[in-house]
Amino acid sequence: MSTRFAAALHAVALLAAVLAGPALAHEGHDHGTAPPPVSKTIAPRGEALSDAFELVAIPRDGTLTLFLDRFRTNEPVTGATIEVETPEGPKTAAATDEGGYALPAPWLAKPGRHDLVATVTAGDAVDVLTVAVTVPDPASQATAAPAKPAPAQAALSRASEFARGLRERLTAKDPILVAAVAVAFLLGVLVTALARGRRGAPAVALLAIGITLVLGTAAFAHGDEDHGAPVQGAALIEPRAPGSSDLAQRLPDGSVFVPKPTQRLLVLRTTMTEQGSFHRSVELPGRIIPDPNASGVVQSSVGGRLSPPPSGLFPRLGTKVRKGDVLATVTPPVQAVDVSDMRQRQGELDQQIAIVERRVERYRKLATTGAVATTQLDDAVAELNGLHDRRAALDKIRQQPETLVAPVDGVVAQATAVAGQMAAPGAMVFQIVDPNRLWVEALSFDALTAAQNATARLADGRSLKLAYQGTGLADRNQAIPVQFAVSGDASGLRVGQFVTVLAGTDTEQSGLALPRAAVVRTGNGQDVVYEHTTAERFEARPVRVEPLDGGRVLVAEGIGPGKRVVTQGAELLDQVR
Amino acid sequence: MMLPRLTLAGALLAATAAYAHETAGQHGGRVADAGKFHVELVAKGETVNVFVSDEGQKPVPAAGFKGTAILVVGGKPTRVPLEPADGNRLTGKAAAALGDSPKGAVQLTGPDGATASGKFN
Repeated sequence: MSTRFAAALHAVALLAAVLAGPALAHEGHDHGTAPPPVSKTIAPRGEALSDAFELVAIPRDGTLTLFLDRFRTNEPVTGATIEVETPEGPKTAAATDEGGYALPAPWLAKPGRHDLVATVTAGDAVDVLTVAVTVPDPASQATAAPAKPAPAQAALSRASEFARGLRERLTAKDPILVAAVAVAFLLGVLVTALARGRRGAPAVALLAIGITLVLGTAAFAHGDEDHGAPVQGAALIEPRAPGSSDLAQRLPDGSVFVPKPTQRLLVLRTTMTEQGSFHRSVELPGRIIPDPNASGVVQSSVGGRLSPPPSGLFPRLGTKVRKGDVLATVTPPVQAVDVSDMRQRQGELDQQIAIVERRVERYRKLATTGAVATTQLDDAVAELNGLHDRRAALDKIRQQPETLVAPVDGVVAQATAVAGQMAAPGAMVFQIVDPNRLWVEALSFDALTAAQNATARLADGRSLKLAYQGTGLADRNQAIPVQFAVSGDASGLRVGQFVTVLAGTDTEQSGLALPRAAVVRTGNGQDVVYEHTTAERFEARPVRVEPLDGGRVLVAEGIGPGKRVVTQGAELLDQVR
Repeated sequence: MMLPRLTLAGALLAATAAYAHETAGQHGGRVADAGKFHVELVAKGETVNVFVSDEGQKPVPAAGFKGTAILVVGGKPTRVPLEPADGNRLTGKAAAALGDSPKGAVQLTGPDGATASGKFN
């Protein structure tokens, strides 16, 4: 083995030993030490997690209060049965008004660590949870403050008492003290001067007196201002009286502590983050249009006077009509010229009819004798019939109005019919729309491809699922119209209503999709989400978000999958100081 | 030359031994932490055996201990009282047969009255 190789091996061995050292020392895992108390002002509590539930146990005044929530959603679980193993056997906790469960627990008065086992039955889910609650020793807390000083400490305290007295007198600018210090200094200077020789003594003495006076006043020149009463333990807030409820607060490490009852009030809900790939969506302005195949207009082909259908009433707005129903009739007016023309024609026809009738009669008599050919009789009869027809048609044209019929099934969406009104040819009298078959037409600046899921958001926050139908190619205001069919319930919509269409594009993004309400903008302009780290603790995680669609955003960075993130009430959580 | 090799081997052994403990227990059951103890749960048929050991996996005499095992069997919690038996073993009998590795918890009350519980998933 070469020296270098041996050295390398030794290095590896040493490293392994060093790494193993701490692992051995605590056996690679934590031995159930209770989590450190979050704050002095919060009652001791224990919590337990499972993949279904989250349990918080708070011992207070001889009662164990339990709060049970769903692990993923943080939704309170009500109506569950919680059985706790106590020294007196299994006991069932009773539900309280504030959504928790309470159990009288006099055995919890004993200070120290209590390991509890709670069996939770909520519907089909059964879980056994272990909760450790550490009850603080009230005796040790009470006796710690007025403890009697030991003899060694007594001397120290006396010295510090003297020092404090001196400081007080200094700050109070005690004249006796000032005079004593000044005289001592003066004497010292004089003695030194005398010891060295008498020649400069008066000058030195004068100088010393001057300096002493200046220093003696200058040193305390600022002593006038009020130093106030000594601040004692302002940083140590007295623990809250037992029995009072805990308050939500921001802890020194930046996390937010929210007790369970407050979480219920704020209706905090969470969701588990999951990695996924999503299609980015674009927002398009759109409006509701009727389905072209399930709507229609009723127009008059001729100009004329409108009159109600045989039922006597025009269909009004909202009336349901079926295909083929007569909605109105149009009687074309007859002009004065036409009337005289018709009269003339009528007279002519009547005259001809009279002549041909007589001829037919004569031919009929003669035909039997053979003086007239039968063919001649037949011709005359045919001519008479033709004349009768023409005369009848002339009569009919004056009486027969045009009927306006519903082209589709639906509801009357627009009605302009008034009895006696003159309708222009081509004017729309009724519009019929099927309210269950509506489309949305949106304007898009880039061509959307088919088979993409789109949703429409209404002004009231409602959301509609849309099915892509087609894209136009003709430009309209620098955009192209895109049509979608409203799938599902379309009640409450009206034609022409404006909607915001969110259509997916081809670009795919991966990340964690979270509801828009989960992201909070903090005071420094940073986007954060609140992670539910333990049962009553929430930690802000700065994130980078990208728009996804109307209701969700995509968290690109800042938090990983499998974390519980507050989706409801995050804004309220951010206000906790 | 021998001594360095020995130290090398010892160090490597120490490094692996430190991480060997988290696996199955000495009696073929599952091990969980319960306060300052390790408990090993062995459920076979209707019998529940719980072995108590300390942090260093040294057996702790079961005498003086009391215990309860709550195990979820077929979607219903079953409570099994445990009584000390020989060595570091506490034993109890369930009303019905327990399936393979039922989830649940074991609560121990030590001779000093302190409670400890371990959870098995």
